[in-house]
Amino acid sequence: MKLDIVKNRFIFLALSALLLLPGIVAMIYSTITYPTHTPLKVGIDYTGGTTLQYGVKEAITNDKLASVRSSLEKGGIENPYLQIINVNSQQDTDLKSILSIRTKFIDEGSTEQEQITNIVDSEFDSPELVQVSSVGPTLGMELFKNSLIALSLALVGIVAYLTFRFQFDYALAAILGLVHDTLFVLGVFSILGLVYGVQIDALFVTALLTVIGFSVHDTIVVFDRVRENLKYYSKKMSFGEIMNASINQTLARSINTSLTTLITLLALYFLGGVTTRDFVLAMILGIAIGTYSSIFFCSTLVDVWEDKKVPGKTAA
Amino acid sequence: MKNKLIMFWVIVLLAITSIVVICTKPTKLGLDLVGGSRLVLEAQTSDTIAQITPDMMESLQFAIENRVNKLGVSETVVQRSGEKRLVVEIPDVSDLNQAKAYLGETAELDFRKPVMKNGEAEWEATGLTGKDLSRANLSTNSQNGQWVVDLEFNGEGTKKFADLTKQLVGQPMAIFFNGELQSAPVIREAITGGRAQISGGDSGFVYEEAKKMVDLLNAGALPVPAKIIEENTVGPTLGADSIAKSKIAGAIGLGFVMIFMAIYYRAPGLIADLALVLYGLFLFALFKAIPITLTLAGIAGFILSIGMAVDANILIFERTKEELKAGRTLFTAINSGFDRAFTSIFDSNMTTIITCVILYCCGTSIVKGFALTLAVGVIVSMFSAITITRNFMHLIFGTGKLTHPELFGLKASEINDSFQAVETSREKAKFGILD
Repeated sequence: MKLDIVKNRFIFLALSALLLLPGIVAMIYSTITYPTHTPLKVGIDYTGGTTLQYGVKEAITNDKLASVRSSLEKGGIENPYLQIINVNSQQDTDLKSILSIRTKFIDEGSTEQEQITNIVDSEFDSPELVQVSSVGPTLGMELFKNSLIALSLALVGIVAYLTFRFQFDYALAAILGLVHDTLFVLGVFSILGLVYGVQIDALFVTALLTVIGFSVHDTIVVFDRVRENLKYYSKKMSFGEIMNASINQTLARSINTSLTTLITLLALYFLGGVTTRDFVLAMILGIAIGTYSSIFFCSTLVDVWEDKKVPGKTAA
Repeated sequence: MKNKLIMFWVIVLLAITSIVVICTKPTKLGLDLVGGSRLVLEAQTSDTIAQITPDMMESLQFAIENRVNKLGVSETVVQRSGEKRLVVEIPDVSDLNQAKAYLGETAELDFRKPVMKNGEAEWEATGLTGKDLSRANLSTNSQNGQWVVDLEFNGEGTKKFADLTKQLVGQPMAIFFNGELQSAPVIREAITGGRAQISGGDSGFVYEEAKKMVDLLNAGALPVPAKIIEENTVGPTLGADSIAKSKIAGAIGLGFVMIFMAIYYRAPGLIADLALVLYGLFLFALFKAIPITLTLAGIAGFILSIGMAVDANILIFERTKEELKAGRTLFTAINSGFDRAFTSIFDSNMTTIITCVILYCCGTSIVKGFALTLAVGVIVSMFSAITITRNFMHLIFGTGKLTHPELFGLKASEINDSFQAVETSREKAKFGILD
């Protein structure tokens, strides 16, 4: 199998635009319509919410926890965070454990609260509601801003290193590839937020970091091959031909690498816990698009720029 | 060949050390994975503070976060709850009693001067307090070797302190910490350098006492007194049910990866699997030895580093296959496979390490956990993929001509016999020059 990327380069650039566009539209729409004015639907890690604590007279098992979680989700309670609090035996009470349910802000005595209480009632033997309190965000805006600043600095570091080892063109293409991949994942989650009410939590930031790491890693391997081939064949072949050859030589490796990472992630998605499912989904999307962009997007960009530098030269 | 055997035994020794570390040291897991302790702090009103305002709560939260960080407890969650409460969740691994001792303390340092009131000597506040410090340090007295606390004043503090000591020449000046007299040295001359020392009286400080004072002074005083009103242990924030399932899923996923490597790359794939197992051992031992508190974010970094470790092997094998197809002998093919894949592996991993260093220095706690595990993972993966895999390949396949191409997943017909392979020297191969 030989792919001719260079010949079809504008098709691939158009395909990338097509992949990103719906997500970008969704993010703009969300920013305007959501009360939080964010491009994605943000969860209680960012906004804060309400914690309901139910005291029960038994030790809560994992099965019980899973069953409460699925009942709550079926009942329309969005992304509940369940946590077991073990009551110290010294304390003057016959309660053994407390089930803490964190969800979006709900008013005391509202129908939602009643609904949650009903669900908990059906799972345990006469639980008692011991506390309802509002909780602040664990990942405030300040923390979020700090993370963004750190990330921007990291990007500058990547550009500097790649300019030093390759050329500025390649560095720029790698960064654009990274933006391409991040925008895609953000876009898909924005759409999922609008359609299925999927919220992003603190873990989402980590998933994005992973995607970014993978994206650059993948792109560099392709560029390294281009750099090597340029050394030996630049007199015999055009840049377009070299680019094509390099992509084809690294193709098996590119696909196998993402395949091995995807195998682990797919196992985690289908067999793993519910609470990390969105986190894993973000990584799956990011790694798939990262492989796509390093083969079809970043290399095409470098090829287009290279043509601009040498007037009159046509690709392949 | 002799060097290769030595390297082999070094690897075996490292593996044994890792297993010993894994068996003897505890695993540090974060709140999200195993849970920990949950303390509820309540801001207290006092004579001077009639009402708790949201602003006060905000600065209280900041001060508590600051203290938790000084304590070196990683991955702690501090959250506002209701109007005057803070929920602090600390991972299982930390010393709860120490944490409790740190969180409630107010850390008020003040300097007082002697006055005579109704014929009795009393200490009177001077307005010079812990707020005027720029930092505190732990050190020892050069004469008697006792622990002391060195204080450095900020600009304003230096001036205040100079004025006060000038005024008190020949008289004692008292240093109070949390309302307790620490020491009352007699001032011999005005001190203008902006430095002072608390000696802890005749008996001196015990190390823990002095260390705690330094940490508390550096973290700043609490804007409002706070009391621990509730203390419980909590299960993992991600839900124990989910984590139990994810553990199994992760193991199944890794199993599939190993099967895939063995089927696609044959003999080298099996060697890579072995290298991957060793990689897992080394990394896990390092996490325990450093120690790193593992959270889900950290595990994401771990998964990514496994991906990159496998990738390094894949790069090398694809390259070795190409060289074998060109008709080179096993020894040359393996060496040039490694050498030519090296620049890709080096550059992509360097970029990752640079990113991690920046994220670790500037990022917030979740980002830090991720960056640290990923960086450690990538460094170990370069060792495992390059040193271990190469060593095993050479030991197993030797130096001859490729006699069993199926071991590499190649067909005999694919091997180019017309190519008269000349052994490439290692030095040349490193620069990508093949004869």
